[in-house]
Amino acid sequence: MQGRLLMLVLGLVAGVWLVTAAMTWIDVRHELDELLDGHLAQAAALLVVQQAREIDDDDQHIDAPTLHRYAPKVAFQVFHDGRLALRSANAPAVPMVESGEHFRTGFKTVQIEGTAWRVFAAHGGKRDVQVYVGEQVSSRAAILWAALRSMLWPVLVALPLLAVAVWWAVSRGMAPLRGLGRTLAERQPQALHPVVIEGAPSEMTPMLAALNGLLERIAGLIESERRFTADAAHELRTPIAAIRAQAQVALGEADDAQRKHALRSTLEGCDRATRLVEQLLTLSRLEAGTSATTSTLDLSALARQVVGDLAPAAMRKGQAIEVDAAAAFEIAGDSTLLAVLVRNLVDNAIRYSLENATVKVTVSRQPTGARLVVEDSGTGMNERDLPRLGERFFRVLGNDESGSGLGWSIVRRIAGVHRAEVRVARSPGLGGLAVEVDFPA
Amino acid sequence: MRILLAEDDALLGDGLRAGLRQLGFRVDWVRDGDAAERELRAEPYAAAVLDLGLPLKDGMEVLANVRRAGLTMPVLILTARDAVPDRIRGLDVGADDYVVKPVDLNELAARLRALVRRAHGQPQETLTAQDVVLDPAARSVHQAGAPVVLAAREFDLLHALMLNGGRVMSREQLEQHLYSWGQEVESNAIEVHIHHLRRKLGSALIQTVRGVGYMLLRDVPKP
Repeated sequence: MQGRLLMLVLGLVAGVWLVTAAMTWIDVRHELDELLDGHLAQAAALLVVQQAREIDDDDQHIDAPTLHRYAPKVAFQVFHDGRLALRSANAPAVPMVESGEHFRTGFKTVQIEGTAWRVFAAHGGKRDVQVYVGEQVSSRAAILWAALRSMLWPVLVALPLLAVAVWWAVSRGMAPLRGLGRTLAERQPQALHPVVIEGAPSEMTPMLAALNGLLERIAGLIESERRFTADAAHELRTPIAAIRAQAQVALGEADDAQRKHALRSTLEGCDRATRLVEQLLTLSRLEAGTSATTSTLDLSALARQVVGDLAPAAMRKGQAIEVDAAAAFEIAGDSTLLAVLVRNLVDNAIRYSLENATVKVTVSRQPTGARLVVEDSGTGMNERDLPRLGERFFRVLGNDESGSGLGWSIVRRIAGVHRAEVRVARSPGLGGLAVEVDFPA
Repeated sequence: MRILLAEDDALLGDGLRAGLRQLGFRVDWVRDGDAAERELRAEPYAAAVLDLGLPLKDGMEVLANVRRAGLTMPVLILTARDAVPDRIRGLDVGADDYVVKPVDLNELAARLRALVRRAHGQPQETLTAQDVVLDPAARSVHQAGAPVVLAAREFDLLHALMLNGGRVMSREQLEQHLYSWGQEVESNAIEVHIHHLRRKLGSALIQTVRGVGYMLLRDVPKP
C-alpha cells in the first residue's frame, strides 16, 4: 500500500514534469526561433542598407573582427554584384546559400562543412547587394537546453524530497492500520472483547464497527456453545449419577422387593441416558449442517407410521391416540428427519400428558401448504413457559416425566431445514398443548 | 441422623434416598427449591444435600436465604455443575462441601458424617462421653472397650444426644432427629428408647431434666 502510493505519486509528478518540459521545449523553441530569426533578418537588413550607402567601389573585401565569444557561431557575408565584399572571419568565401537563380531573400537552413546553419538572405536592389547572415543551429539548441536544465534541476532535487515526504505521510496515515494488525496478531484466541484503536481515523470506523460486530457475534456463539456443553454435561451427569446410586442401592439391599426396584431404576436410568445421547447426536448432526436428502413423500403416511410406532406407549398410559390424516399430502423433505420431528412431537405429547388423556395428530391442507398439528388434552403449558419452549434443555418444571427438553430443539432444527414454521399454542379442541408445523407448498 | 435431600430428578432422588437410608440416615426428600427452603427453616436437620438446578427456586438462592435466616446446619451441594466459578460461588454463599455428580454413596455418607461432626465441634471420627465411644461411620458403640448392641433407633437417639452433649434436648427435638416424615411416633417412644439406653449403658450417662427433656453428660458427674 505504502509502496504503491509512493510509486503513484512519484510517477505522476515525473509524468507532469515531462509533459511540462515537452510543452516548454516546443514553446521556447518557437519563441527562440522567432526572436533569433528576427535578429538575423534585422542584421541582414542593416547590412544591406549600410552597404548600399557606404561601401565605395573599393572592391577589396574586408574580414570583420571577431568581437564576442559567441561570434564564431554567427557569420555574415556581403556580396556586391556577385562578388564577396565583406564577411565575418568564420564565414566561407562562397555564398552560404547557393543563390543566383531563385533564392535571394528569406530563411534557409543549410549544411556548411558538416555544421547546420540558419541563414537569412537579403537582397538590396541598389548595387546588387546580396547579404547572408547565418547562425549555427547548435547555438539555438544550447539555449534551449539551458532553459530546460533550469527546469530540470529543481525537479531532480524535489523528487527524492517528495519521495521521503510521501513515505513519511503515508506511514503516519497507515499507523492506525498497522496498530490494528498488531493488536489482532497479539490477541489470544479467546479474547473477544471489542477492538479499540486510539486515534483511529474516521475512515477506519466502519471497518472497526464491522470487526467488533463480528467479534460480538462469535462471542455470542461461543457463549451459547459453552452453555450448551455445560447443560449437556448436567443432563448426562444426572442419569449417570442416578444409575450409580441405584446400582449401589441394589448391591447393598437385603430386601428382595427393594433390590428389584433399585435394579429396575438402574435400567430406567440407562434408557434415559441412551435417549439423551441419541438426541444429542441428532442435534449435533443437525447443527453440523448435514444436508437433508430431499425427496417427495406423503406427510399423512409418515404421521400414521410414527403414531403406529408410538401407540403402544400411549396405550400403556391409558391414553387415546388418533390420527386425522386421510388424504395424502405430498411434500418435499427428508423422510428420516421428518419422522424424527413427528416422533419427537408425539412422544412429547404422550410423555407430558396425564393418564387417560387424548393425543391427536392432524394433517390438513392450508392456503400456504401442508399443516401438521400434534395436540393433547394434557396439562398443557402455562403461558409463561411457552416462549422458552425451544431453548435447549428447557424442561417444564414440576413435571414428573424425565425429559431433557432436547426434543424441542431437534423439532425446531428439523423444521428450519425444511423451511417449516413451528408454533405452540393451547389446543382449542383438547385443551392441552398444540404444536403446529406449517410446511411451505 | 436426619438429613434433607433436595433433588428434582426422580430417579436420582429415589436412589439417593434409598442408599442413604441403607447407610443409617433418615432422609426427607423434597423436589423443588421452595419446599427445600421451607423444610430447612422448619425442621432441625443434621445436614442437607442440595442440588443446584432445582425447580421454582435455584439451590444457590435457597442456600443464601437459609444462611441469611441464621441457620447454620451443614449443607452439601450435590450438582452437575462442575465449573470452578460455580464451586467457588457455592462455597462462598454458604455451602460446607461441594460435590459433583455422580458420587459414590459411601463417599457421600462419609462427607455428611464429617460435616455433622465438625458442625458440633468434634474433629474426631468418633464421639466420646464418659466411657462410651460412638462411631457414626461403623454405627457401633463401645463401653469401656466392650461392644454394646443397640437397636437402630437407640443408636440414633444416643448419636443425637452425644452430638449435643451438655445441652438439654426436648422430647420434640429428639423426635425430629429420629423420625422422617410420615413415620408414626408413639407418644412415649423417646421415653422407651431412653429407658433401653440406660439399661444398656448405665444411668449416669443420660440425665432427665424434669419438664424440659434430656441431657447427656460428657464427664462423670462429681459426687
